[in-house]
Amino acid sequence: MASASEYSEKNERSYKNEEITVYWKPSACIHASSCYRELIEVFDPGSRPWIDMKGAPVDSIIETVNLCPTEALTWKWNDEEKNREVSPGHTNHVKFRRPELYSVPAAQEEVKPLSVRIMPDGPVVVEGTFVLKTSTGDKLVKDCINSFCRCGHTKSPPYCDGDHRLKGFSD
Amino acid sequence: MDYKDKAAATIEVIENGPLKISGAINLTDQKRGIKTSVTELYLCRCGKSARKPYCDGSHKH
Repeated sequence: MASASEYSEKNERSYKNEEITVYWKPSACIHASSCYRELIEVFDPGSRPWIDMKGAPVDSIIETVNLCPTEALTWKWNDEEKNREVSPGHTNHVKFRRPELYSVPAAQEEVKPLSVRIMPDGPVVVEGTFVLKTSTGDKLVKDCINSFCRCGHTKSPPYCDGDHRLKGFSD
Repeated sequence: MDYKDKAAATIEVIENGPLKISGAINLTDQKRGIKTSVTELYLCRCGKSARKPYCDGSHKH
């Protein structure tokens, strides 16, 4: 089933078949003509609608969309799971060219914010996954709870060793 | 990839300076009634700041 014009903003259009959706942003077209030179069966400026999503195999459509030098033509899989795995070699996938159309930002969705808790008269307790940068280098700390000194009295900086209590630290 | 493998933020221990945290952060400070989401933080590590929990540059003095 092919349908056109589901997405419309400033004459922008989307064209869909069972597997992929192609987005057309006319304002970005510089008339390089790579689309219809490569695949007139799908991209025919003389037809209406000018994109026929049933005109060629999906692989050919993707390959041709990737040839577009601007964001005039972009594409995505209808299956969001598959979009996550698309590599940058697919230059015109929406997540590289038009992230505003990519509604499932996998990275943001999967990252749980770092919890940073300031303990009264005590350390700062950090929970989550983070990159720790120190003078000796960087390391990835996975899903951990760490407490960092806030009072300046610890004997094992940057971590808390409990000395804030002995020193009567009050914030 | 599991979310646990992805860094939400970077924590930088600045030598003789504050703890710089940048990324997706949920900050809570019970004593001062702070509960907020931020993307960058400089936390005092020396205990001298007048703007705790934030760094105010007092470590230099």
